[in-house]
Amino acid sequence: MKKRRDEVLVGLTLLFAVVVGLGGTIWVARGGLSSGYSMYARFPWGAGLKNGQAVLLAGVQVGFVDKVELVPDGTLAVTMHVNKEYQIPAGSMATVDANGIFGDQLIAITPQKGVTTYMAAGDTIKAGKGSPRTGELLTKGDSIATDIRALTGKFRSEYVEGGGLADTRQTIKDLTKLMAQMSTVVADQNKQLTITQQALRRTIASVDSAKVDSTVVNLRTASANLEKLSRSLDSTRTAVNDVITKVNSGPGTVGRFMNDPAVYARIDTLLLRLDSLTIDFTKNPRKFINLKIF
Amino acid sequence: MILRRAQDRTAKIMGAIGRRAYYARDIARAVREPGTWMPETIRQMRTIGVESLPLSMIVAAFLGGVTAFQTRYQLFPGVQLSVVGLIARQSIVLELGPLLIALVLTGRIGARMTAEIGTMRVTEQIDALETLSFDPIAYLTLPRLLATLVMLPALTMIANATAIFSAWAVLVLATDVRTDDFLSGLRLAFTEFQVVYSMIKAVSFGGAIALVCSYEGYVTEAGAEGVGRSTALAVVIASVSILVLDAIVAAIFAPFIQA
Repeated sequence: MKKRRDEVLVGLTLLFAVVVGLGGTIWVARGGLSSGYSMYARFPWGAGLKNGQAVLLAGVQVGFVDKVELVPDGTLAVTMHVNKEYQIPAGSMATVDANGIFGDQLIAITPQKGVTTYMAAGDTIKAGKGSPRTGELLTKGDSIATDIRALTGKFRSEYVEGGGLADTRQTIKDLTKLMAQMSTVVADQNKQLTITQQALRRTIASVDSAKVDSTVVNLRTASANLEKLSRSLDSTRTAVNDVITKVNSGPGTVGRFMNDPAVYARIDTLLLRLDSLTIDFTKNPRKFINLKIF
Repeated sequence: MILRRAQDRTAKIMGAIGRRAYYARDIARAVREPGTWMPETIRQMRTIGVESLPLSMIVAAFLGGVTAFQTRYQLFPGVQLSVVGLIARQSIVLELGPLLIALVLTGRIGARMTAEIGTMRVTEQIDALETLSFDPIAYLTLPRLLATLVMLPALTMIANATAIFSAWAVLVLATDVRTDDFLSGLRLAFTEFQVVYSMIKAVSFGGAIALVCSYEGYVTEAGAEGVGRSTALAVVIASVSILVLDAIVAAIFAPFIQA
């Protein structure tokens, strides 16, 4: 009985160890127990690419590097394991990029914009230009350093040796002087302003408030009188308007006088007759005045 | 005088190596008697393997947790956090898992092995076995050797998994490392050979523990004191042997580890 129990316990322990060992190894090596599919890419330079490194599609991890093989033609054939829930858009580009600053690498798949079709499982993704290598970065840095050196030389010849530095110093000196003068002016103005303010305060203090009040009352009375005058003028204007209207309408004497041309003609005739009568009277007064005293 | 002493010392060393070689030869011969060692092997597998499982898992859990925690806080700003998963896996699977489990089990099973066989030697039970035409090596040593060779890799496998699980739990619960970071590092540059490498170490350490400890018990002399001395010596020799084997295995197989 005990022997049987020993055998069962030993068997279970060994089975557990084998399951844990094999299951764990497969789980880590395959990137989980979920199924996926393989995609391929060929790169001219791997920059330390290893299996297990991330495969990103538009920045999202969709799988991992499964195998890296050096092909006799000098290129790297990389097998990528892509999780089954992701698809790679047609025309995407794969590049080997740096992951962080300590030499870790990843494969970045950049999809083309506007593409709605997908690559089939097992297709080869076109390789793009990866991140620059150290040598390229050093070359770039070297050219930048050369430019800076040239710029520094130019600066020295133009600015230091050409007297620009002395001019700048003189300008700074002048500016300092100007600032001192402006400070003096500002101080004077400040002083004058203070005096003006004091005078104004004094003037305001000397104003008699009773006089101001009576002036205000007088002004109010004058304003009321003006208002009355305005009303009176208004009524006068209305009356005058009525008279003018009546005159213009013509029923009265003045209206007829002013509007009836026949009246004018008769007056004109009358005046002519008066005129001839006056002439006649002047010539023959005795005709009209027959004065006898006795 | 010095020459004489050197000769004596060399003769002693050669004698020790020769005795162990004979012992190994006797073990190889004992394989021919499966009826003697087979039933005892299962019992030893239970004693050595099943009963050591809780201790191995506790050691592994703390080993994984501490390794991961220390690794996280050794990283300076800017290093991607997935590195923690990578370092934890490499440390545990390639080195600390097999080594620490072997050292811990040297104390537990190696000492017990020496004490058991040594006590049988000083109480003349081994002589009695020989009198009864039992091969004492087939009955005492071979089952222990086989049990250790089988169970130590199994314990190491379980301990590795426990340590990695513990590392993940500690990192996710107590640090800013997330599961994705850890898994990403765990999978980085992983090859199946790394697990095989861990098993190679476990098998070689198991063999060292069984051979050294059973031999020291087998040659025990001078009563209870001798048993104590043999036990202490066995643990020391087995521990040093494990460290030496660790270096040898690393030197031989390290070039194949990298992905």
